Amino acid sequence: MNRTSAGVRTLQYIALVGFILFLGFPLLWLVSASIKSSQELAALDMSVLPRQFHWDNYAVALQKQGILRSALNSLIVALLSMVLVVVLSIPASYALARFKGKLRAVGVGWILVSQVFPVILIIIPLFVVLRNAHLVDTLVGLVLVYTTFTMPFALWMLQGFVAAIPNELEEAAAMDGASRFQTLRRIVFPLLMPGIVATAMFAFVAAWNEFFFALVLIQSPENYTLPVALKMFVGGEGKVALGPLAAGAVLATIPSLIVFSILQRRLTGGLLTGSVKG
Amino acid sequence: MGTRRIALAGVALTTALLAACSQGSATNPDAGSGGTAAGAPVTIKFQSLQDQPAAVEAVKGIVDSWNGAHPEAKVELIQAGWDGVYDKLVTQFNGNAAPDVIHYEAASIVPFARDGYLADLTSKVPADLKSDVSDGVWKSVTVDNKIVGMPTELQTYVVFANKKLLEASGAKIPTGDSMTLEQLQALAKSATKGGSYGLAWGLKSPTATFMSLGLTSGGTYFTGTGKDAKINVGEGELAVPKLVKQMAYADKSIDPVSLTQSGSQALASFYAGKAAMTVQGSYQAANIKKDAPAGFDWVELPPLAGSQGTAQAANPQTLSVNADSPNVDKAAEFVAYFAGAENMAKLNQADALIPASKKAQDMILASTGGKDGWDMTMKSAQGLTGAPFLAVDAYTQWKDTVATPNFQKYLANQIDDAGLTQALTDGFGQVNR
Amino acid sequence: MTITSTVATSPADPLGSPRRTGSGRKNQQRREAIALVVPSLIPIIIFSVVPLLQGIWYAFTDATLRRNDTADFVGLDNFTRLAGDAFFWDSFRIGMVWAVSVTLIQLVASLGLALLLNSNLRFRSLTRLLALIPWAMPPVVVAIMWTMIYAPNGPLNHLLGVVGLPDDTNWLGDFDTALPAVIVVGVWVGMPQTTVTLLAGLQQIPAELMEAAAVDGASAWQRFRSVVLPSLRPVILSITSLNFIWNFNSFGLVYVMTEGGPGGKTMLPMLFTYLEAFKNRNLGYAAAMGVVLVVVVVLILAGFLRSQFRKEAS
Repeated sequence: MNRTSAGVRTLQYIALVGFILFLGFPLLWLVSASIKSSQELAALDMSVLPRQFHWDNYAVALQKQGILRSALNSLIVALLSMVLVVVLSIPASYALARFKGKLRAVGVGWILVSQVFPVILIIIPLFVVLRNAHLVDTLVGLVLVYTTFTMPFALWMLQGFVAAIPNELEEAAAMDGASRFQTLRRIVFPLLMPGIVATAMFAFVAAWNEFFFALVLIQSPENYTLPVALKMFVGGEGKVALGPLAAGAVLATIPSLIVFSILQRRLTGGLLTGSVKG
Repeated sequence: MGTRRIALAGVALTTALLAACSQGSATNPDAGSGGTAAGAPVTIKFQSLQDQPAAVEAVKGIVDSWNGAHPEAKVELIQAGWDGVYDKLVTQFNGNAAPDVIHYEAASIVPFARDGYLADLTSKVPADLKSDVSDGVWKSVTVDNKIVGMPTELQTYVVFANKKLLEASGAKIPTGDSMTLEQLQALAKSATKGGSYGLAWGLKSPTATFMSLGLTSGGTYFTGTGKDAKINVGEGELAVPKLVKQMAYADKSIDPVSLTQSGSQALASFYAGKAAMTVQGSYQAANIKKDAPAGFDWVELPPLAGSQGTAQAANPQTLSVNADSPNVDKAAEFVAYFAGAENMAKLNQADALIPASKKAQDMILASTGGKDGWDMTMKSAQGLTGAPFLAVDAYTQWKDTVATPNFQKYLANQIDDAGLTQALTDGFGQVNR
Repeated sequence: MTITSTVATSPADPLGSPRRTGSGRKNQQRREAIALVVPSLIPIIIFSVVPLLQGIWYAFTDATLRRNDTADFVGLDNFTRLAGDAFFWDSFRIGMVWAVSVTLIQLVASLGLALLLNSNLRFRSLTRLLALIPWAMPPVVVAIMWTMIYAPNGPLNHLLGVVGLPDDTNWLGDFDTALPAVIVVGVWVGMPQTTVTLLAGLQQIPAELMEAAAVDGASAWQRFRSVVLPSLRPVILSITSLNFIWNFNSFGLVYVMTEGGPGGKTMLPMLFTYLEAFKNRNLGYAAAMGVVLVVVVVLILAGFLRSQFRKEAS
C-alpha cells in the first residue's frame, strides 16, 4: 500500500487548503456582504466581519423579485434537463466512442460547430422555431432548449469516459455470449458511473446557471429562473443593490450545493473492482 | 439491481417534474392578446423596468387607476430587469412577440425606432403635455420626425459636495443658478490637501458623461443623422475631457483611482471624506441621503456651465408603443395618461429622477421644499436638450469599441489631445462603413 | 445465462470475428449505432441543427435586425470586409491569449486538485463539496463578487497589504493587470468542472494497475506518468478541448467586469460579435464573424485532436 512520508503529506494538506481558500474565499465574502447594511457596503474600507449584523437583506431578497419561485423554476428545469441529457447521451456517446466511421465524423463535427458558433447568432431563428411550437414562455420549452444545447458537451465528455474503458472487457463479455445490450448494462454502465455522475452535474449546473436563453425565451415573471431574477437587482446605469443581491445569491447557492453533495458521493469509484474476468 | 432502481427513480422524477412544469408555465406568448372585435375587452401588455420598490409601487398605482377607469382596455403589468432588457427586446421584436407598451430609454430605443418597430406617437400627444415639456426633450425622443416615445424620467450630471471639507479649505460654497467649469476646477484645487482630494469622478464609462457635458461647451460631436452623420472633434468636444486630464495630472485634485471606477463606486471615497466633491447622476441624491455616514453634511452644487451654458444631453426614460400591436390606439392613450403631470410627479419623486413635464417638476419642488438637493437638480434640468449623437446609426458601436477605450486611454495619460481626436475620428470612419 | 439476442441467428458478435462476412457485420454495426443515436437526434435536429444552419446562412447575406428585413444573398462580401477589420482581429488575438491561458492553467490546477481529492487525505467529502463552490454561483453573482474583491479598496489589496506587498493596485482598471485579473477569474470559474471530470477519470483507473506498478517498485511520480496519465488521456483530451471552446466563447463574465475595457484590453471576440449583431444590428456581418471563429477554432482543435486520436489508435 502507499505510504507517503509525513513531509509529503503535510505539503499535500497545505496545497489542499490553498486550493480551498482560493475557491471558497469569494463565497465567504459574499456571505459577509449579504449581512452588511448598504451604508457599510458603500464605505471605503471593507472588512470581512460586518460592524453590525444586518439581516434585512435576506428579507428584501425573499420578498422582492420572487426569488423563491424563480429558484423553484430553476430547480425544476435543471433537474429535468439533467435527467433528459443523461438518458439521451449514454447510448449516443457509446456509439460515438465505439463505432468508427462516418457516424463519428458527423457527430463530432456537429458537436464542435454547435459549441463554437456564437449562441447569440442563432437565438432569433431558435426563438421563431419555439414560437411556432408554442413553447415560448414555457418551462418545458426551456428544458428542451437546455437539453439540446447541453447534449453536445455531454456527448463529448461521456465518449471520453467510454473510450477510457478498455475494449477487452466488452470483448470478453461478448465471447461469453452477451448481447450488445447486456454488455452495455452489465459491464459498461457500472464502469461509466463516475462519468455519468460528472455529466449529470454538468447538465444540472449548465441549466441552473444559464442566463441568456432564460432571459430571452421567458416573458412572464412567474416563469423567471433564478439568474434572471437575480439580475433584476441590477438596475439601470449599473446601480447594484449589493446587499439584497448578495443575500439572494447566497440563497441561490444553497440548492446547488445540496444537489452536489448528494451527487458527489457517487463520484467515488468503488464500483470498479477489477472486472476483467467477467 | 442498481440500474433498475436508478431507472425507476429517473422515470418517477421525470414524471413528477413534468407535472410540476406544465402547471407553472404560462401560455399564449403572442403580443397584445385580446379580442379584435370592436368593443371586446382587450389586454395591453406593459413591460416595465422599475427597480426601486417605491417606484414599483408608484407604477402599480398608475396602472391600477387606469384599469379602474378603463375596464375595456386593461393593462397587464410585466416586471422585467434593466440589465439584459436590450437583448430581450431585440429577440422579442425579431420574433414578433414584443409587448404592447415598452419601457426603456431614449438613447437605446432609437435603433428600434429606426428599424421600424415603434409606433408614431406624434398625433397621440395631448396638446397640454406637448407644451409642458421642453422642445429639447421632445427632440431627444424624435426619430425621422416621428415621436417614438413619451419622455417620463430624466437625470442630469451634478456635483455633490462635502460642506465641511469645502468650508475648511476656505472656499465659499457656490449657490445660484450655475457654476462654471473653471469654478469647479478652482474649488477642487483648494480642497486638495493632506491625503484627500478635491474631486472623485467615476469615469469608468466616460463616453456618456463626455457626450452629455460636451454640450455645455458646444461640443456636439456629430452632425447629420443616420448613416450620413459626420463626426467632428474640436475645442468644444475636448473641453471637458481636457479639464479632467488637467485636474488629474496638473492640479492633482482628482482621485486617480476614481477615474477607473463607476459612479457608484466613487461614492466610497466621498463618504469617507477622502474627496471633497463628486460628480454623479442627479438620482444619487437619494442614495447619498440613505447611505452617507451619520452626521455627513452634504450639499448639491449649482449645475455645471461651460462656454455655452448649462446644456446637457437629455436621455429620458420612455414609454413606447409596439408598431405591430393590435391595440396601438388604446396603448398610446395609456402612454399619454401615464406621462401626465400628476403621475409623473409621483413616479419621479419615488425614483429620485426628474420629470419631463414642467408642471410635474413644480409639484415635486412644492412637495419636497427643494430639500435634499432637489432645488439644484431641478435647476440643472432646465438645460436638458436633445443631442445629435442620438440620431447617429453607428453610435453604439462607436461608443463601445472606439470612444470608451480611447477616452479611457486618454484619461490614463496614454494618448494626448491629438491622439484622442484622431482615434475618435478614424474609429468612427471604420465603424460607419 | 440465456442469450436473448434480437439481432441475428448466429451468436451475437459485436466486435467482429472471422466467422461473419465483412458487409454483414458492418450493417449490423450501423443498425446498432443508429438505434443508439436516434433518440437524441430529434430534439437536436429541431432545436440545434436548424437554427445553426440558419445562423450560418446569415453570414452570406446582408441580414439586419430591421423589421421585415429582406436578407439578400451577398456571397462573400461580409468575409472580405472582415478580413480588413482590425478591431475584429485584435479581439481575436485577445481571445486566443485568454482561451489558451485559462485552459492551460485550469488543467494544471484542476489536475493537482483532483489528485489531492483522490488521495487518502481526511475530510474528503467536505473538501470535494467546497471545491465545487464556484460552480454553484450564477454568473452575475460571480462577476459582481470578483469586481468587489478586485476593488482598489477591496479585500485582495487588503490581504496584500497585510503581507507587505503593494496594496493599491487597481486590478481591473489598470491596462496591464486587467487581462491577467480576468484570467484568474476565468480559471476560478472553470476549476470545478475540470476537477470533477478529472476526478471521475481518476476513479475509473483500475486499482490493480496502480497496485501492480507499486509492487514493481515504481515511485509516485513514475506511477503517475506511466499509469495515471495514459489512462486519463481521453478524459484530459475531451475536457481540455471543451474548456478551450467554452473559454474562447465566453463573454458574459468579462462583459460584466470590464465591458471589454480598459482601453479594449479585454474585448473578447464573442463580445465583439455580440456588439455587432445586437448593438449594430448587422446580423449578416456578425454571422460572418461567427463562421470565421468556428472555422479557426475547429482547425486548431482538429489539428490537436487528430494527432491524439492517431496516437490512441496505435
